[in-house]
Amino acid sequence: MTNITIALIALPMCMGFSIYLLPKLDRYLAIFTALCSLAYGLQVLLNDTDLSIQLLDNFGVQLLVDQQSGYFILTNALVTTAVVFYCWNRGKSAFFYAQAIILHGSVNATFVCQDFISIYVALEVLGIAVFLLISYPRSDRSIWIALRYLFVSNTAMLFYLIGVGLVYQAAHSFAFSGLRVSPPEAIALILMALLVKGGVFVSGLWLPLTHSESETPVSALLSGVVVKAGVFPLIRCALIVPEIDPVLRIFGISTAIFGVVYAVFQKDTKLTLAFSTISQLGFVLAAPVVAGFYALTHGLVKSALFLIAGSLPSRSFKQLQSQPINTSVWIPLLIASLSVSGFPLLAGFGAKMVTFKNLLSWQDIILNIAAIGTTIYFAKFIFIPHTQLPETPETEAKQRGLLPAMVILLGGLILANFFYYQSAYTIDNIVKSLVTIGSGWLAYFVLFKNWEVNLSRNWEKLEHIIGGMTIMLTVMFWFVFAVSIA
Amino acid sequence: MFGFFGIILKKNLMMKIISMDVMSTGVIAYYVLIASRDGFFTPIIGNAGDNGTYADPVPQAVILTAIVIGFSVQALMLVGVMKLARDNPTLETDEIEKNNTP
Repeated sequence: MTNITIALIALPMCMGFSIYLLPKLDRYLAIFTALCSLAYGLQVLLNDTDLSIQLLDNFGVQLLVDQQSGYFILTNALVTTAVVFYCWNRGKSAFFYAQAIILHGSVNATFVCQDFISIYVALEVLGIAVFLLISYPRSDRSIWIALRYLFVSNTAMLFYLIGVGLVYQAAHSFAFSGLRVSPPEAIALILMALLVKGGVFVSGLWLPLTHSESETPVSALLSGVVVKAGVFPLIRCALIVPEIDPVLRIFGISTAIFGVVYAVFQKDTKLTLAFSTISQLGFVLAAPVVAGFYALTHGLVKSALFLIAGSLPSRSFKQLQSQPINTSVWIPLLIASLSVSGFPLLAGFGAKMVTFKNLLSWQDIILNIAAIGTTIYFAKFIFIPHTQLPETPETEAKQRGLLPAMVILLGGLILANFFYYQSAYTIDNIVKSLVTIGSGWLAYFVLFKNWEVNLSRNWEKLEHIIGGMTIMLTVMFWFVFAVSIA
Repeated sequence: MFGFFGIILKKNLMMKIISMDVMSTGVIAYYVLIASRDGFFTPIIGNAGDNGTYADPVPQAVILTAIVIGFSVQALMLVGVMKLARDNPTLETDEIEKNNTP
């Protein structure tokens, strides 16, 4: 198993470069790599693996594979497979596939690493791969968006390195457990950097623009898996060091509400989805113990939704309302939106219920409000008018490759029910979720359908995002300080 | 940490990138400082006598990775700036941002 785990990290990197050398085989190699991770992830989940590996000696690389990482790896594998199928006939060059697979490998690496330096390396590789993927169309705008991403993430990672240095000074080791003996400023620096990387709360304000302006398959990858690479180390730390747990819960809740407020008032499909990613990350962080399953369902849904949004005729809701879309696009849109709203029979329901069960009492009410908010803005997607339209070459080009991708993502969503079906499906829970969805839709028709608010997006300027890091750092320091005293 | 202020305060994209480099140099220097807390001698047996005032090799080894990564990120950013400079010759971030946000 140790060797297989190392292969899990090494294989995508080798494949990434092989794709460059054998450009003819690009798509096949990419699919093969993604399927290998899929097999690995399933194997971890079904066998209940709990494996801790220490490579080299005391200061070497530490890996840990358990249920949590199994879920995350599975998400990564399914999303990558779907994206490769989506791109199959879209004339992407070998360079695109190579970067996508290197990204896949670095995300896998973050999901198994257990020490700060390996995580740092994995996150930096990921940052560079994302930069290249976003700037793939080479338009001015895409280059600027990519540059902005790299800027924010690199600055955050520099703060992270300072934090890691402090941890080493205190614990003489880079393992996560060293956080227990480190000073609050070290914890604050590391947490802040990971929050930025994961796109959580105000430090995640770089995320909406990046995710909505990238190409369709790239946004699907970004929202589906890349943000989780930032969130995963946070969850690991919270499970190892109990003092961090309340801090993360508070940030999770605020993120959930923050994302919902912005998402409800957006008029653009991709922007709504990007803000929804922020809000859903809040749900993931709110209950670290079951974060893996929630991340799985969210990753599948969000990448499906981004791929669908790419095949809609327009990005603005107003235009979509006035002009019916094809039913064959609407049905997957319906399934995905229902799952994320927590409708029974889909895995989103199980994930929501399991998360709610692991909440603390003060979190419960706020997160329920956020859940209703989620159904409100997904009502915008569900109630887009639809008819059976004749196939034209134009719609065919937009929907090319969508079907196999949807089969994988939504099929995964239905099969994922299997993991938690016993604990989630009780009468109480089903009634509760239906009431949530009903009240959300009611609120949508009564209040939000015609309510227009323009929320300022001034905060998304580069200077503000980077300046926001210092504020987050200060807030985080006092949070951690207060918790460590109490 | 002057580099960080540079990132925020400088208007020119090029200057921002250089400020980031200053910041990363600062972080590297900090790691070297951590390494040399116990002594300055190269950690080779027989170098420091009996009192064991060796420099700690671990942070130095680790920061090597960060130097290389920082270097490559720098290179990538400069390529991006070169491309952007064709249409925005002044490279002022406000202008670029105005042209490229919806």
